Amino acid sequence: MRPRIPTILPSVRLLKRGYTYNAPSANYPGHVPTNIFQKLFLAAGSGIYSFFDPKRADLIATLGEATAVPFLMKRLRDQMLSDPTGRRILRDRPRITSASIRVDQLLSYPENTIGRTYAEWLKREGVSPDTRARVRYIDDEECAYVMQRYRECHDFYHAITGLPIIIEGEISLKMFEFANTLIPMTGIGAILAPLRLKPKQRERLRTIYFPWAIKNGATARPLINVYWEEILDCDVQEVRDELGIEKPPDLRELRKKRISRL
Amino acid sequence: MKLCTLRATLPVRGRVFRTYAACRRLSSKSTLETVTGTQSGIAFDNSATISQTCSTTMSNLYDVVIVGGGISGLTLAAGLKSSPYTSNLKIALVESMSLASAKNWSPENDRYSNRVSSITPASRCYLSQIGVWDYVYAERVQPYDDMRVWDGVSGARIHFDAFHLGAEDASIAFMTENLNLQHALLSRLNDLPADPPVMVLDNTKVEGITEGPTFDDLDLSSWPSLKLSNGDIIMARLLVGADGVNSPVRSFANIKSRGWDYRQEGVVAVLDMEWDDRQRIAWQRFLPSGPIALLPMPDGKASLVWSTSPKHATHLKSLNGGAFCTLVNAAFRLGMVDLQYLMTRVDEEEITQEFEWRDGRLPIEAEGQQFPIRVVEVQEGSRASFPLKMRHCDTYVAPRIALVGDAAHTTHPLAGQGLNLGQGDVASLVRVIEQATQEGSDIGHEIVLQQYWAERYPINHMMLGVIDKLQKLYCTDFPPIVGIRTIGLEVVESLDWVKKIIMKQAAGA
Ligand SMILES: Cc1cc2nc3c(=O)[nH]c(=O)nc-3n(C[C@H](O)[C@H](O)[C@H](O)COP(=O)(O)OP(=O)(O)OC[C@H]3O[C@@H](n4cnc5c(N)ncnc54)[C@H](O)[C@@H]3O)c2cc1C
Repeated sequence: MRPRIPTILPSVRLLKRGYTYNAPSANYPGHVPTNIFQKLFLAAGSGIYSFFDPKRADLIATLGEATAVPFLMKRLRDQMLSDPTGRRILRDRPRITSASIRVDQLLSYPENTIGRTYAEWLKREGVSPDTRARVRYIDDEECAYVMQRYRECHDFYHAITGLPIIIEGEISLKMFEFANTLIPMTGIGAILAPLRLKPKQRERLRTIYFPWAIKNGATARPLINVYWEEILDCDVQEVRDELGIEKPPDLRELRKKRISRL
Repeated sequence: MKLCTLRATLPVRGRVFRTYAACRRLSSKSTLETVTGTQSGIAFDNSATISQTCSTTMSNLYDVVIVGGGISGLTLAAGLKSSPYTSNLKIALVESMSLASAKNWSPENDRYSNRVSSITPASRCYLSQIGVWDYVYAERVQPYDDMRVWDGVSGARIHFDAFHLGAEDASIAFMTENLNLQHALLSRLNDLPADPPVMVLDNTKVEGITEGPTFDDLDLSSWPSLKLSNGDIIMARLLVGADGVNSPVRSFANIKSRGWDYRQEGVVAVLDMEWDDRQRIAWQRFLPSGPIALLPMPDGKASLVWSTSPKHATHLKSLNGGAFCTLVNAAFRLGMVDLQYLMTRVDEEEITQEFEWRDGRLPIEAEGQQFPIRVVEVQEGSRASFPLKMRHCDTYVAPRIALVGDAAHTTHPLAGQGLNLGQGDVASLVRVIEQATQEGSDIGHEIVLQQYWAERYPINHMMLGVIDKLQKLYCTDFPPIVGIRTIGLEVVESLDWVKKIIMKQAAGA
């Protein structure tokens, strides 16, 4: 007869599962299975490094995956499963790459469209759709895709909010994303990154941008359910209205004003 | 109405003897005083005066009048008539609907009735004892010896196997169409050599119940007197209400029934499984909107009871058959979010596509192990729904009155106990009446009847309580509650002796 006590409580089982590392197999191509201790280690390492070097997108990506509590990722996935478009995305599994999105074509779209704004955004900031890393450390295959999708859509979020890629814009957007998706990494970034800013910048974040980000992020419809590829020719303001997002004050304008006042 | 002679039937003892003698004296007079029925009671025509001769009064006196020809009422009649101590009682059974279809019922190939119940070993044992089980069409009975129950939110599971009941070839329960049982009960009543036979008055409604009349030297005022829709008036030494959840007998006796409505309906249907996998497994998954159960039937069929909100019940009944089956499959297989989403869709093709996509992600080994194989068809016209409630009477007895079955208690079908509790009531009441006749006591006396109540109330109360708590515990997806119930279920699952106790209780032992 098998010993019974260890199986009585799920928590005991959980611990057992955590302790025994018997090389689980990959759940999807590129998956690197990790146990809870390895995840903690990854999170700590990538967190510390990216704090001192915020330009390391790969480290931020790793931090994002290592801290992606399954419960919160499932919540985000369930948000997609509750929405017709979200379901379609999960089913089609679209990837945003320079092959699927022709940036040069988008530049010929009318001024006010999502596609044009996005393309100009990429051009101005000197990034490409391919700069996004592949998800490796999230164990559930479907949640891994959700994380991948979030990551690839990140530039669209910049485009639709009009926040710049400079550190303050990035931090505000992280807060907005956290309020909208509850992905832990976005929250961690939004809280820790400002520690490196000047008091004036922090002040601006606290009084103008965080209130905007939290309010809009929480009340807007889930951005993860937007099929960006299908609305490239839609008017930005219309989409913003449909999603329930107010445009934030332009950071660069604000900065320029401040400089001219000096 | 067939007239039975009273002489042969009433035990020549105690009160009845006196009544009988008094009436014989009375009947020598050519006419009787008219008796006015002005007592309180339901739907009784106060202005009417009833003139009767004593002989008609006599022929309308019964030892036991059973109101309700459902399974409880018929079992009581068969139980009393099968016992050597009570077979000579004069019994009438009044049922408002026609019993002809139940009487002439015979299994129709490949078609099943949608009212199906699981009969526990204890109920089956009693039905055998009173000679009814032999009349049940065995090919329409599906025993099962394995039961898989799980939590739709957390996935925690419990598995009951008949070996927990002890015996080698034990069954957990027997799935039977209610009509099969009713047919067997009526056939048994018909074949019983009892004298006098049970007077079965179907298509006859009890329209009012009052206290009986008083004659010069014959006082029937403590006898309930029933006004029937055919114009007859019958009186009972013991009136048994087996008349279902809205029991008129209970109203007459002024017995309070407490409880609440679950704000759920039980959607029933007869389903065809993808193939006859010959597995004798009962499946039940607790969804936050209510449990869904799939119970095996012969010929690769299954009986569905899906408890859900009235809104969803209406929706499920309105969908076409294909979409309905897909939703049943989804309810056993998919996650709660997927199911909720599918419940908002109406287009069959969309439902099918969405289902196939999500179902395709499930591990193939789970098929038939963690959830049932697929449902492919719903029998035409077999979908129906019933409001679910919980009711329990403060007492089951009053002078000359007893309640059995749903008239005394109604419960949620999640444990398949409603009908079985009624069988337990009947067995107990028959025992009490047997004992009273042996001792020469009046079978309608409250002290006699109290024994029945004392025996059954605690058992029913416990079962109703447990079922009610389970219903409430599982009708939420609030995470702390889900956590607690998941740990609880896993503990029970790992402790065989606890499972054994649960199964013994559910089997009616
Ligand atoms: C969806 C569903 C599934 C169920 N599944 C199961 C199961 O698997 N196992 C189980 O054990 N139980 C089950 N039950 C419960 C079971 O069906 C009932 O408990 C059982 O049928 C009650 O029988 P009864 O004879 O006490 O009452 P009823 O069957 O309600 O009979 C009452 C009878 O009284 C008659 N009547 C009422 N008023 C009058 C009147 N004024 N005059 C004359 N006649 C009258 C009615 O016509 C009726 O025939 C289920 C119930 C539901 C709703």
